[in-house]
Amino acid sequence: MTEHKIATQEEWQMQRDELVAEEKELTRREDELAEKRRALPWVPVEKEYELETADGKRSLSDLFDGRSQLLIYHFMFGPSYEAGCPTCSSMVDGVDGLLPHLHARDVTMLLVSRAPLEKLQAYRERLGWSIPWASSANSDFNFDFGASFHEEEMRKGMPPEDQLPPIAARNAKETGTDLVSYISEMFGATAFKLEDGVIYKTYATTGRGVEFLMGYYGILDRVPRGRDEGDAFQTWIRRHDEYEQEEAR
Amino acid sequence: MPEHRIATQEEWQSERDELLKEEKEITRRGDELAGKRRELPWVKVEKEYEFETTEGKKPLADLFDGNSQLLVYHFMFGPPYEAGCIACSSITDTLAPNVPHLAAKDTKLMLVSRAPLERLQAYRERMGWEIDWVSAGDTDFNLDIGFTSTEEQLKPFLEGEIPPVVEQMAEASGTDAKGYVTEVPGLSAYTLDEGVVYRTYVTTARGLEPTMAYYFLLDRTASGRNERAGEPHWLRRHDEY
Repeated sequence: MTEHKIATQEEWQMQRDELVAEEKELTRREDELAEKRRALPWVPVEKEYELETADGKRSLSDLFDGRSQLLIYHFMFGPSYEAGCPTCSSMVDGVDGLLPHLHARDVTMLLVSRAPLEKLQAYRERLGWSIPWASSANSDFNFDFGASFHEEEMRKGMPPEDQLPPIAARNAKETGTDLVSYISEMFGATAFKLEDGVIYKTYATTGRGVEFLMGYYGILDRVPRGRDEGDAFQTWIRRHDEYEQEEAR
Repeated sequence: MPEHRIATQEEWQSERDELLKEEKEITRRGDELAGKRRELPWVKVEKEYEFETTEGKKPLADLFDGNSQLLVYHFMFGPPYEAGCIACSSITDTLAPNVPHLAAKDTKLMLVSRAPLERLQAYRERMGWEIDWVSAGDTDFNLDIGFTSTEEQLKPFLEGEIPPVVEQMAEASGTDAKGYVTEVPGLSAYTLDEGVVYRTYVTTARGLEPTMAYYFLLDRTASGRNERAGEPHWLRRHDEY
């Protein structure tokens, strides 16, 4: 017999109804926050950036690709990485198939990383994604938007390794680089708007603010054991083509 | 100049920091609710159901496929449907790529519908999804959990004025309003403990938004979801835009 509390359908339904009331309250609170995000002021992007893309060099406004809104995911793939960050990869799995729906709402989404374009393209092909990926290798774009730090500064300000979550060292190893180089790249999402030829930054987030891109967490929050990861958060995540190897080990 | 308020980076940052506090509060509230979901009691599933799968008939316990947790998305694809519901299809665009990650957490994620298995398989192939889909066929699996409606339950709705969006969705699935709304979208979670299947969680309506990741993405753009009451729904199948 399980140790968990067992109930009749009627008992369960009563407790469930109470929880639904709280869930609805949270949904409405999230709607309010979405509204507040839209009420944030816009910041004109005055600097010119040139990124490398599969179609050659492109300016930030070219990247909108004919739409008026651009959502960039800053994917952790620095110049010294041999492969993309596994956690970022799990997020791209979830959004890659949603691009047609976003396009229908006037949103272009793409990935930007600092590794050379060829490395990004090869990794994208390996994982079977269709999302466009631009390289900011020869641009200040990542530094200006908080998606990369200069390694020498990172080295100076870096917390002792045992104060970093276990995922940092794990992902450094999985991306084939050292810890400082790994955490010199930062994950995050930035939203832009193009209006009358001017680009504005409208929203940016990082930390747990990117959980909206981690669909599996929202799903796990609805199964009996939940995320079940404690301080070792994300260490169970593999690239989608590496789980079977893991089983075979 | 746009009509929207413009700010310097510093002004933006100070407003952003204020909003961040509220976002963090919501994240923690989300964690609390996830904790409360896990505290719900479990309900033993006593009735025997038999599903049609690509590997023949299987009881509910066999659908776990070696995992101890099972999450079923009740996909609206009833016997009279010629194609799957558009909204459920966009949900599956979100769910299918998460299947391998959930399997790594001892969780089987799959779709269940009432249409015959061959029709589900053909549609799955058309959409290119890699997620298991079984047919509940003539079983009461959907009915017992409230994800198939009875004629009696539907009567008041069908006697009233049918919202145009329901007509739109019904037509896109090759059925009429009655055929369409007989199916109800939903998510149900189960655990298998010492050979006994327990139902642990059930949700529907806006409780399904975690499976509609495009909404969360849109919630972070300047125009947001931008849906207006009375307008036809913007969603299409991903191969139909």
